[in-house]
Amino acid sequence: MDHSASHARMIEYLKTEILRDPDAEIEPHTPLVSSGMVDSFSLIQVVQELEKITALRIPASKVAPRDLDTVSQMFATATRVGMPR
Amino acid sequence: MSQVSLLYAAAVLVVWMTARVSSSRPFRLWIYLAASWLFYFSLDARFLPLLVLSSVFNYYYGRLIRRQPRVGLLWAGALVNVALLGVFKYLPALRPLLSQSPFWQHVAELALPLGVSFWTFQALSYLFDQYRGDDTRPSMGEFCLYMGFAPTVMSGPICRVGDLVPQFRAPFAGSWASVREGAQGVWVGVGMITLARMLAAGHGGFGVADAFALRGTLGTADAWVMLLGYGFQIYFDFAGYSRLVIGVARMLGFQLPENFDRPYLSTSVTSFWQRWHMSLSFWIRDYVFLPLAMSRREVWWRHVSLVISMAVFGLWHSASWLFLLWGVYQGLMLVGHRLWQQLRRGAAPIGPRWLRSGASWLLTFLVIILSWTLFRAEGASHAAGILKAALIPTAGLQLPGGFVLLVLGLVAGYFASQLAVSRVPQRAPGLLSWLPMPARFACYAAIFYLAVFRAAEAQGFIYAQF
Repeated sequence: MDHSASHARMIEYLKTEILRDPDAEIEPHTPLVSSGMVDSFSLIQVVQELEKITALRIPASKVAPRDLDTVSQMFATATRVGMPR
Repeated sequence: MSQVSLLYAAAVLVVWMTARVSSSRPFRLWIYLAASWLFYFSLDARFLPLLVLSSVFNYYYGRLIRRQPRVGLLWAGALVNVALLGVFKYLPALRPLLSQSPFWQHVAELALPLGVSFWTFQALSYLFDQYRGDDTRPSMGEFCLYMGFAPTVMSGPICRVGDLVPQFRAPFAGSWASVREGAQGVWVGVGMITLARMLAAGHGGFGVADAFALRGTLGTADAWVMLLGYGFQIYFDFAGYSRLVIGVARMLGFQLPENFDRPYLSTSVTSFWQRWHMSLSFWIRDYVFLPLAMSRREVWWRHVSLVISMAVFGLWHSASWLFLLWGVYQGLMLVGHRLWQQLRRGAAPIGPRWLRSGASWLLTFLVIILSWTLFRAEGASHAAGILKAALIPTAGLQLPGGFVLLVLGLVAGYFASQLAVSRVPQRAPGLLSWLPMPARFACYAAIFYLAVFRAAEAQGFIYAQF
């Protein structure tokens, strides 16, 4: 899956499963955690979805919310710390 | 306003002037560090060596973890820090359970180093961040300043190395605009602390502590008034202190994280915990909740993780069953809110929006105010008595009328001021800048009057004990 397709899939997931608002405006650089759109509880679901999309395992001890604040940062973090499943 | 406060104000001025005229970044860093250690020494000379030792140890340990990011090393470093907290903070609380031997009794009588819970949590976050591969590479001087930074060393806000160190490296930012902005924060902080001290001093010599010292059968009104009194005392005290230190740091050109964001206006417990003692709340989220919750995939485990995290939050204050229960209660309320949200997802809303918001706010407010019972009570039976009086309608009022009026007046005044603020568009940055000039000066004059004439009867700062 290419870069933009992965981003689009994550944005779709955020809109439908986390925010439950298909009209929400989310861009790859929209702050999600720091703006309060995604709370810590939902962040766990987001990480699980990220693991599914990237087919990588993301070690819990290697990520902080600030690394997952935007969709772009999520994929950058997955690339940096993710391990093959 | 004591002579000591004026001395500290003069010291801030000297540091600001020295930093302003200096063009050397290392010189400024050492000025800040010397001033910070001197400040700590003036407050608690006995434990300055401990602060320095902890800073040096964690600095080198962080470097080791960065070079060899192994989980065993990380946990060993974390254990050293937790052990430090354990010796000074938790062993004395466990005194009744300790052996009666002279050694253990000695240990149990150790004094609590000032701010140890705050700067130890800063050290822990540094170790965790280094393990995660954080890019910030502080020098020894920068790290020591991060640990002992005068505005935060006593009671936070708990900072992260990635937020402070880049500011230590930046050119001096204490402009006149930041001095004005910081000074406004200081005034508002002093005002809030003064309100807290008015609640502590009370009316006619009867304050919040006297209300909690009442024994015998309490009426329902007694219980709620004393809980309201304490809830607002601790809020004005800690939020005021936080605003004051954030203001002092701002005057020197530093931007510290906010610690409170009008928490009593929250319409859910989840929102409350994003607005109350935010620096600790986010610390717990980042270093306890997320690693714990991500360790298993099941939803029930996330709920358990939430309760465990809030229990840690409670125990951070002190090793007591009541603080543990307070944390577990908050965790259960958070889980309850989450389950309610899931239950209501997709369902048609009940009643108009204003009614839903009002009901959510009232319920959240009552849940939080009730929780102060566990935070403030002097033992399990005391807490049980207050909870029983609050939850089972009981007639009678033991509290003096003057105290009741003081508490209700301050609470009503707080909400009225928040309502006024929400209706006036914010034209310029600053907490009181929305007011017309005469009203602003009246506020400053009132704060000055209250700080000088009423705070003299004050008790100490509540969070200093943690």
